[in-house]
Amino acid sequence: MPCLFSPFVFLAKKARLFILKIVNKKTIFFIFIVAISQLLSCKNTLSIAPITTFRDVTDDLNRRVKLPNKVERAISLAPNLTENVFAIDAGNTLIGVTEYCDFPEDAKKIQKIGDTIKPNIENIIALKPQIILVSTASQLENFTKQLDENNIAVFVTDPKDLEGVYRNLIQFGEIFGKTEKASEIVASLRKRVAEVELKINTTKDLKVFVQISREPLFSIGKTSFLNDVIKRAGGISVTDSINEPFPKLSKETALASNPEAIILSESPNNIEPNDVFKDSNASKNKRIFKVNADIFSRPGPRLVEAIEIIAKNLHPESFQ
Amino acid sequence: MIAEKINLKSKYQRYLVALLGVLILAITTAIFLGSESLLFTNLNEQQSVILFEIRIPRVLLAVSIGASLAVAGAALQALLRNPLAEPYLLGVSNGAALGTMLAFVFFSQFEIARPVFAIIGAGLATFIVWQIANSRAGMNTERLVLAGVIVTTLLSSVLILLTSLLDATRLRSFTFWLLGDLSQASPTAFYVVFATAIFGTIILLSQAKALNLMMLGERDAADFGVEVKKTRLIVFTTASFLVGISVASGGSVGFVGLVVPHIIRLILGSDNRIVIPASCLFGAAFVVLADTVSRTAISPRELPVGAITALIGCPLFIYLLKKS
Repeated sequence: MPCLFSPFVFLAKKARLFILKIVNKKTIFFIFIVAISQLLSCKNTLSIAPITTFRDVTDDLNRRVKLPNKVERAISLAPNLTENVFAIDAGNTLIGVTEYCDFPEDAKKIQKIGDTIKPNIENIIALKPQIILVSTASQLENFTKQLDENNIAVFVTDPKDLEGVYRNLIQFGEIFGKTEKASEIVASLRKRVAEVELKINTTKDLKVFVQISREPLFSIGKTSFLNDVIKRAGGISVTDSINEPFPKLSKETALASNPEAIILSESPNNIEPNDVFKDSNASKNKRIFKVNADIFSRPGPRLVEAIEIIAKNLHPESFQ
Repeated sequence: MIAEKINLKSKYQRYLVALLGVLILAITTAIFLGSESLLFTNLNEQQSVILFEIRIPRVLLAVSIGASLAVAGAALQALLRNPLAEPYLLGVSNGAALGTMLAFVFFSQFEIARPVFAIIGAGLATFIVWQIANSRAGMNTERLVLAGVIVTTLLSSVLILLTSLLDATRLRSFTFWLLGDLSQASPTAFYVVFATAIFGTIILLSQAKALNLMMLGERDAADFGVEVKKTRLIVFTTASFLVGISVASGGSVGFVGLVVPHIIRLILGSDNRIVIPASCLFGAAFVVLADTVSRTAISPRELPVGAITALIGCPLFIYLLKKS
């Protein structure tokens, strides 16, 4: 039997703060008792009442993002963020992802809402998400007003290193109410990295060139998360003085850097090193290897896998 | 009268020698500057590789591309009696760009596919423009330019469509290439561009006299004994080759074909016997300097050279226009 009084109870709760100002505490206690008795009399339908309370979380740009207590409908606008959400067992809350979100397997079944650079704002609003996870602030700049009007929160991530990835996982744990799972995942990732670091702590760091694209020659700079990945895997990027995440590099500088190892982010245009490296130490010692671009280029939980692969290739003697 | 003629000839020769001096100066500067500083008195093995296998070939590539684009622009402007005639306006450049892009998407593993497809693209674009412009009433300049604009617009749309369909990593390398990028050319490509630039300039120079007369108007030129159709075919084909090869190896380096011949004409007058060789030398020097800026301004990173040519070219052009 439906409870006739539940809307009034809802209103009473909403008005509580207002009443607090004008009446004394005893009266409030009395009203509270009455309210409780009303609630108890119709406890079966209690859970249906739309009591939404909000909380604040802080994103990577130090914005305060207002979120409902329980997040059940989320959209991810980058493959690494989709992987993060699945890693903390919150994949079932995702109602929209990008065309590039292909990992884990379940992510492929979720509705696609365009790609990372140009998401479809109509699809996004139609899906009625409570939160959108984005990887760059500019992604949704033009739509911020529309999203605000529709009460859709935007959470911006910007991991600059492995710690940033851990931080994102913990933040996502808070957002989706999976704090324990998130700390568990982060702890196990930390453990795997620590194991790698332990194995290679006596070896000498190798000079590494990371080739993102062969022609034109693109590499990584100081502000890329990959700089940190290389460091943790027992290497030092020869381009780590460049203050940009993915610089187009002068071939003269590339040749002069004479790396001891070359890592190729594997894609159809990037399966062998640029010609300028043909006399480098890396070519002489045959220390050239590929890493799957999906593992290598997404700052998510699989980055630890990249560290393991790179460390094994840079220092095979430590992994025997 | 005769003395005047000789005087004019020696004056032209002096200008050409001066421009050659400018070009040599530009080349020398470009060779001395780069993201790696070299001690030229004592080169180690690595530095000599940098100098001889990276820097000098790239500077010479800039020479060839600059010469090709400037000469093609000069000849097309004379042929069409249109100051806006430029490889880009006539769709030749975009044809080459589309050809290169298709090679890039479907045959990225074969380096030779890019110049081949670019020439085919430039040739096809030229042929289509030619066909549209050719009517029963014969061809006139307006029809040709209009056809060029239509084909250019169509090809631009296809290029944009293709770039939107490519995935992110390919998109990045291609957008760089579209803005002009001399770092990607292979040594074999360089020889092809160099040879094309030289032969192209010689062929166009052989048409200079005919072009001079055609600037009076095609009917007048015919009265003077110029084979209008033949000249048009030769100039159009040669320009397509020059532009096609340049685009395939260096991307779309804009503004060279427009700005360089105009500057030359403002200084030296519009006799094609002097405009064509002078454009060749000045165009080469111009692109060499622009590429030096793109290599060194934010080294070890690089800028797209097409943006630099536009940035240098436009103000210079406006200045000369106001002054004359």
